[in-house]
Amino acid sequence: MDTLPLALSLIYQFGSTMAFLFLSALGLIIILGMMNIINLAHGELMMMGAYTATITYHAGAPFFVSVILSFFVVAIFGAALETLIVRKFYGRELSALVVTWGVGLVMGQGTLLFFGPFMPSIKIPGGNFSYGVFSFSVYSLILMLISGLLILILWFIYNKTSYGLQAKATMQDAEMAKNLGVRTGRIYTLTFSIGAGLAGLSGALLAPTVTIAPFMGQQFVAPAFITVVVGGAGNVIAGAVGSSALLAGVKVPIGMAFGSFVGTVALLVAALIIIRIAPNGISAYMQNLFDRLSWGARR
Amino acid sequence: MNTALRLISGEGDIGKTGVFWISFLFVVLLFFIYPSQVSAFRASNSAYYLLNIPLGMGMALLWGYCGVLSFGHVAYFGISAYLYGIIAGNLSENSWGPIIGILGGLGGSAIVAAVFGYFVFYARVQKWIIPILTLVFTLLLETFLGQTAGYQWRVGSVLLGGYNGMTGIPSFQLGDYIFQGYSFYYYCLVVVLACYFFLRMTVNSGFGKVTIAIREDELRTETLGYDVRARQCLIFVLSAVLAGISGVLYVQWGNYVTPSQVGLLQAALPVVWAAVGGRTSLLAVAMSTFCLGWITFTLSSQGNQYAMVIIGGVLIVTMLFFPRGIFLMIAEILGRWVSKISKGNT
Repeated sequence: MDTLPLALSLIYQFGSTMAFLFLSALGLIIILGMMNIINLAHGELMMMGAYTATITYHAGAPFFVSVILSFFVVAIFGAALETLIVRKFYGRELSALVVTWGVGLVMGQGTLLFFGPFMPSIKIPGGNFSYGVFSFSVYSLILMLISGLLILILWFIYNKTSYGLQAKATMQDAEMAKNLGVRTGRIYTLTFSIGAGLAGLSGALLAPTVTIAPFMGQQFVAPAFITVVVGGAGNVIAGAVGSSALLAGVKVPIGMAFGSFVGTVALLVAALIIIRIAPNGISAYMQNLFDRLSWGARR
Repeated sequence: MNTALRLISGEGDIGKTGVFWISFLFVVLLFFIYPSQVSAFRASNSAYYLLNIPLGMGMALLWGYCGVLSFGHVAYFGISAYLYGIIAGNLSENSWGPIIGILGGLGGSAIVAAVFGYFVFYARVQKWIIPILTLVFTLLLETFLGQTAGYQWRVGSVLLGGYNGMTGIPSFQLGDYIFQGYSFYYYCLVVVLACYFFLRMTVNSGFGKVTIAIREDELRTETLGYDVRARQCLIFVLSAVLAGISGVLYVQWGNYVTPSQVGLLQAALPVVWAAVGGRTSLLAVAMSTFCLGWITFTLSSQGNQYAMVIIGGVLIVTMLFFPRGIFLMIAEILGRWVSKISKGNT
């Protein structure tokens, strides 16, 4: 066997696992990093995105359009959720966790009652191609590309737009930002809505690769939350990218050797060990490390 | 004797007046005479609502008294249930089997909780990480137990059984007497009361006062010289053992256990009981566990699919409008009312 196809296959596996982790965690980590709210309805928001995409896809819309549409549908739902419920829980992390869990329960069970236990699946767009003995799916490559594109878009939004500036100001000191004329309430609603919309978008993007059912959100819950816990809330995008890369590096070799369940268990064990070393996530740990290094250099 | 009385009737939980204790004894008496009025089937159903109470009180102890939230306490329920099933199932010829099974099940839960607690509490992670990790843990446990179908997954003579679960688990047995129906109800009632009084004495002791201090201000408690990490870990283990007691009672009641017992829907229930009852009171949570268990069971046994929607809705409404808990609020109103009347008389 040639080593080049094997190496390419490993890189491909690593990339698609990383894209999966990144997409699962994206909406969650934005809401957590900017607002300090842990949204346990995250899996159900992804489910909602997948349902929107499935329904519009089978109504005749192209897959691309239905993915975009699910972003907006879930974003609007997220804005409503923030205004009606989540708004009352700023600064009370544990209560926010519990109430969003209640929302998730109602959403999951409500979907089961309304749409029934099964939905028709979406055919995976793009075909397969093979290189050496390994075969690769085009759609996984598209997902990797989209993940990269999303990182760029988010970087642009949070570093180059006035919304990004105001959001960062609100995150640092809400009271001061308010005094300077930032409408913090609106920023919170918008941020939650973007986070929810991204969860919906990810759900729609991952929909062709999974079974679509009312409790499909559950399978994203474990990887998404592990990614967020490991990434930490220090630097949102760097944390998400760094921890999905790190965790993919743990999961791919172990999963290949022992099967996918052991790979997922390895994720949890890795998360426990990483937070034992870096309790605030690797983004804060790296920040600390760089600070110390540059301080040493200056001396 | 005086110390014990003081520990039972202290500041740690609601109710320390004479009126309270008389009504408490009256309610307990009602629970004791209840089986004589109903069929063995009804008594057995009521035992099911009772056996969840230790799990609910464990949640209250951890979340309400120590300020640590866990979404995965059903994992310890499941670990104890499965271990009891394995041990007692293998020793089914031996009349000591169930007792060894209980000890093994609770010990297993305690060990797993201690290892988990070491990583979490000694890392001093932020508060929101613990519920997430416990939730992930219980979801992984469910996935693991779900794939244990087939003959290769057996321990001794007991099959783990995958999603169909483990069946034919022996009931509780003392000597040659097997606890079923009425006698199981009384056994549950005694265990629940023992747990309640033990916990009430714990929260009123010095240890309990430090626990509450940790909830109020971790840093201040630490600067006063208490090892916060060790105490949080210990409380975590204690509440895991309480969850284990419920787990063991559950398999002794139904003689089976499935992986869905540690799934997401089950994991939600203890949190709902603690939130709706009022997590800072053991008694309020015990009452809400019993009542919500009864409501859920009645709704779902009538084929009502809205049970989980209603439970989720109740949780949202409670968190929005009664953040301290519905049962606790009612108890406080009653308490004020009673004290006003007794003041009016004198």
